[in-house]
Amino acid sequence: MQQNHFEIFGLPVGYQVDRQALAKRYRELQQEFHPDRFAAKSDREQMLAMQYAAQINEANNTLKDPVARAAYLLQLRGVEIKAEQTTADGTFLMQQMMLRERLEEVREASDPEAELDELGAEAASLFKAQEQAFSAALAADALQDGESALSKLQFLAKLQRQIEELEEDLLD
Amino acid sequence: MALLQISEPGQTPEPHQRKRAVGIDLGTTNSLVATVRSGTAEALPAEDGKAILPSVVRYTGAGVEVGYAARAAAGEDPYNTLVSIKRLMGRGLADIKHFGEQLPYHFAEDTGGMPAIETVAGAVNPVQVSAEILKVLAQRGTASLGGELDGAVITVPAYFDDAQRQATKDAAKLAGLKVLRLLNEPTAAAVAYGLDKTEDGGDVADKTIAVYDLGGGTFDISILRLSKGVFEVLSTGGDSALGGDDFDRVVAEWVAAEAELGTDLDAGTQRKLLDAACAAKEALAVEEAVAVSYRDWNGSLSREKLAELLDPLIGKTLRACKRALRDADLSAEDVAEVVLVGGSTRTLRVREKVAGFFGREPHADIDPDKVVAIGAAIQADVLVGNKSREDLLLLDVIPLSLGIETMGGLTEKLIHRNTTIPVAKAQEFTTFKDGQTAMAIHVVQGERELVADCRSLARFELRGIPPMVAGAAHIRVTYQVDADGLLSVTAMEKSSGVQAEITVKPSYGLEDTDITRMLQDSYANAEEDIAARALREAQVEAERTLEAMLVALQENGAELLSEAELSELEQAMQGLRQAHNEGTADEIRSQVEALNTLSEPFAARRMDSSIKRAMQGHSLDEFDKP
Repeated sequence: MQQNHFEIFGLPVGYQVDRQALAKRYRELQQEFHPDRFAAKSDREQMLAMQYAAQINEANNTLKDPVARAAYLLQLRGVEIKAEQTTADGTFLMQQMMLRERLEEVREASDPEAELDELGAEAASLFKAQEQAFSAALAADALQDGESALSKLQFLAKLQRQIEELEEDLLD
Repeated sequence: MALLQISEPGQTPEPHQRKRAVGIDLGTTNSLVATVRSGTAEALPAEDGKAILPSVVRYTGAGVEVGYAARAAAGEDPYNTLVSIKRLMGRGLADIKHFGEQLPYHFAEDTGGMPAIETVAGAVNPVQVSAEILKVLAQRGTASLGGELDGAVITVPAYFDDAQRQATKDAAKLAGLKVLRLLNEPTAAAVAYGLDKTEDGGDVADKTIAVYDLGGGTFDISILRLSKGVFEVLSTGGDSALGGDDFDRVVAEWVAAEAELGTDLDAGTQRKLLDAACAAKEALAVEEAVAVSYRDWNGSLSREKLAELLDPLIGKTLRACKRALRDADLSAEDVAEVVLVGGSTRTLRVREKVAGFFGREPHADIDPDKVVAIGAAIQADVLVGNKSREDLLLLDVIPLSLGIETMGGLTEKLIHRNTTIPVAKAQEFTTFKDGQTAMAIHVVQGERELVADCRSLARFELRGIPPMVAGAAHIRVTYQVDADGLLSVTAMEKSSGVQAEITVKPSYGLEDTDITRMLQDSYANAEEDIAARALREAQVEAERTLEAMLVALQENGAELLSEAELSELEQAMQGLRQAHNEGTADEIRSQVEALNTLSEPFAARRMDSSIKRAMQGHSLDEFDKP
């Protein structure tokens, strides 16, 4: 049975996803199709259940994650997605370089934790702006703008991960 | 409508007959077996009334001792008495060099590269030793439930990697157990506490809990979300080589230093020091200070000194808690309940530190030694088909990322840690040189970027790639992890359809043929008739297949099958029944195979129909909304 990730959960195809509805529907579907529900069934049915449960998990992981969801939506419209996108937006790149420089200098700051909090908040707000840009591009079927927003989301997600890692290091 | 046939009594078991299922906690220090009876899960005691079976196996000239008797002999017969064998499960010789300094055994080199320990009964490997423990527990289950077991759930630390899980499953196979599921210990503990129910038995809407599991040799932390019977593991972390044994070791080292015993101690002395350390540690749960003596040295260990010795180790566990919380996108304040599991959480200092970290008093009302086995028993009861808790569902995750080696010895992760299982992921790779016709695929597990820092699980080669320029071939590698957390890998060249497929047999060294050989050896020793055993196994398989088919036909045979298909299936079932009653093991197996093949389209239609039903129910809900 071929269904796209949104169809599996009976959700409308789009960037905005009702997280609660997704979580609820996810648990309902796993209640029905998890291999544990097929433990007394035939081997063939157990295997089909495992495959379908894996598909449900994959769909859930994709829709839960804002970057993976954006990439998937472009894929559904026939855009080929590379693992790491690049961007030609000079202003954005410059901004990224400056954010990263600040990240590298956090350890030397007088109050590293406060500086890190501030960086985290900035990254989060930039991320949100790109999510809106992506959403608008998708609605207007402007796929190139969508790709550009996706690559920026990827950059920012990576920055957020680095901030978290540094936070962990500082706490130890 | 075609009429459905119902078998004669005694030919196939009744579908709703109560099944015999057990949960087994195969621990580093102690093991237990539990089962659900009259709706309550309980640990099964041995004849002497004790439920705990020390995970100690002693090989004597005359046979094998397991449990208390073996443990009592550990000091005087250290080379033949194997303790904490779980630490060696799924481990290679290289790992043993590290543990070897702590374990007083004589290691022999086994052919498969798996460590084997020299005993008076010959060389034994960790899988065989674990199987001895499992056999005793299985026997206890059989005696208590009054018949052959239909299946067992065996628990493993959440942090166990693929090799360690596979080794555990192999040990169960060797002990003659049908494994229904490998279940992560923290998840089992959460189930045992039943924290998904409110006090009056209602469903809890949504709640986050942390399970802190510190056993004899392993540490696990799991963060779970509970909602209406569904236990969803959000993240897990830990250390598969950190536990109460290490507590004993630091205390023993302290005693050795205080008593100026030097560092070059023989195995017997080491064992006695560890026993003294363990006794002192346990006494400090009650006393403020305890006298410790070794030979002519007399000293005293206080709670403060113990805390000082243990804090670095406990600190390691709290760092893992922090990381698990971060992986789940949560902080310590979001955790509504904390559950303590494992004998080492009896140590007061551990309780203090955990309560401090999460800012709340942890649950410890179920005996921490029994809680895991009890949770496993509840899950086993559900899986075997006894409908005790129909809504119970465990969604677990993979603890360590699975990757593949790429150019330059780097790891490319295909499946990230904390991904819910089962899961399948595919990625395409290409060739490095012009005309390259084969590709070496190296499967690794771990978080580090360099392959050398990860655990190697398997290596295999995809051959017969048509010669093309570098980068032109598309090789699709698929990783699939089942609900036990076990991986299988498939590689395929897309244009030519050349397919190589393996089920990962981790490099810890046991192949299926080794298991078969060890099984045969054990039958030979037990003077059991191997043919009789094989026949019985085939019959059980036949009964299971027939029963599953019967239930499927009753559910929607009439709706999904034509009369011709139905009668064909019934003929095959009749053939299998006959083979079951009169045939040899081989004949039964070939009839099972025939029925399985014939029923494949039916199975697929049943699945499609379930999916359609699930979808439909949902869209109707949507339309109902105003």
